[in-house]
Amino acid sequence: MQRVVVVGSGDGGTFTANLLASELRDEIHGGLASVQLIGEHLHHPFQPGNLDIAFKGASPDKYVKQETELLRKEVEFIQDPAVKIDFGARCVSTKGGRALVYDFLVIATGAVADPSKIPGLAQGAMNFHTGGRDSQRIWESLQTFKEGTVIVAIAGTPHKCPPSPNEAAFMLDDFFRKRGIRDKVKIRFLTPYPRPYPAEKISHVVEPMFQEKDIQVSTFFNVDSVDPAERKIYSLEGEAFYYDLLIAVPPHHGADVIVDSGIGDQEGYIPTDKGTMKVQGQERVYAIGDATSIPVSKSGVVAHLQSVVVAHNIVAEMQQSPDLLEYNGRINCPMEVGSRKAIFVSATYTSPPTDQTPSMIKYFMKRSFAMIYWRALNGSLERIFDVFFGQTRFPATNQAESQNQLVEVKAAQGDKKIA
Amino acid sequence: MATVEQHKVIDSRGSFCPGPITDLFKAYRSSQLGDVIELLATDPAAKADVTAWVQKSGNELVDIIDEQGYIRIVVKITKKRS
Repeated sequence: MQRVVVVGSGDGGTFTANLLASELRDEIHGGLASVQLIGEHLHHPFQPGNLDIAFKGASPDKYVKQETELLRKEVEFIQDPAVKIDFGARCVSTKGGRALVYDFLVIATGAVADPSKIPGLAQGAMNFHTGGRDSQRIWESLQTFKEGTVIVAIAGTPHKCPPSPNEAAFMLDDFFRKRGIRDKVKIRFLTPYPRPYPAEKISHVVEPMFQEKDIQVSTFFNVDSVDPAERKIYSLEGEAFYYDLLIAVPPHHGADVIVDSGIGDQEGYIPTDKGTMKVQGQERVYAIGDATSIPVSKSGVVAHLQSVVVAHNIVAEMQQSPDLLEYNGRINCPMEVGSRKAIFVSATYTSPPTDQTPSMIKYFMKRSFAMIYWRALNGSLERIFDVFFGQTRFPATNQAESQNQLVEVKAAQGDKKIA
Repeated sequence: MATVEQHKVIDSRGSFCPGPITDLFKAYRSSQLGDVIELLATDPAAKADVTAWVQKSGNELVDIIDEQGYIRIVVKITKKRS
């Protein structure tokens, strides 16, 4: 019996569990393998929907489904949060007292947006990174906002969905124009980076659009604190700005279970091989998505692409096959830039983002992804994604004959059986 | 009692923009006035980014050294809100 335990039921954990259940279907039914998914919540949110909730008034209910609706029947879902991961004992303990022993482990515990890390931030700022309800509070505040200064600030890096602060500024501009009060509202964007978007080529697109829409930018602004009484936000560098409404991306850190288990870095992220997605120094233990310390965007697309690599590698290891795959660092983050246009921030470990032209087609592609997200979690759209994303994985370096060959992940597994 | 000034070495080699400048900011956040931060980077953009940051923030750029295969940027923390 080969026991796979997946910790975390977000995008990456859910998709990995489903892929493994699909690949190991016969073995699971034959009692030779099991896939257990441990998650805290029964509700599974589509997190990019938070922008629509905050700035377009969408209902949070529109972007939530029950986790059990999203899983293949071969996956055993355990709604009981993990509290301890013990690599030595190869065991995951849960809050409810379970002890789940594993042969293979996938850690997909995500990142936690935590406003409490900056003095005054939780009291003085709203945000769209801590859930649908908090995003809805932004929409409610906008309904009574008549004039003044709105600040969008990045209060910590790295954070989920790198384009989302820029999108928030663009969407605010759209909102106030539609209300006919844009001339009474000053929008200011505060970023720790040297430019409006960290990647230079993308900033070449964003910067002139911010200027055209009169979104004022202050770079090198590392948030130190917020004074809710004075309505001021301060930087470590010594700058301060007054706000009437503050929307800030909170600092993020790794999940409590990672910190409490002592298996993360200083910020609670798991040191992971950026190719094979194996946790450094561990055998048959993988990490994906926002939970890792890999310097790549914290986004659902990244978790999705890494899940394919991890599911393949686990099955290969079970079959004692040397044919492991490596993720190539592909990111693909859509960014709405207002006026029903969007761009896609695409890159790999070796290819930085390139020049982009905003278009309505990209905007509608982004919107359509919100509709297919749920189906994407069960793996039924992988052939389409393979065409869309192209090369995202390669044979692992130590065995690759060519790094330039596209690998079809599910190819050639044919009649192999679990060892 | 006087605090002891620290010398921190931050290795961002292999990381591309915004990796090095982000690593520098993490060190800045936990630093005190008088501390020296040495940033090692392979991304050539780190030179311009750090130079622009010290100019805006009022901190001191002590040195930029082209080592073999990487850049060593030394910054002294002389301005930070406390």
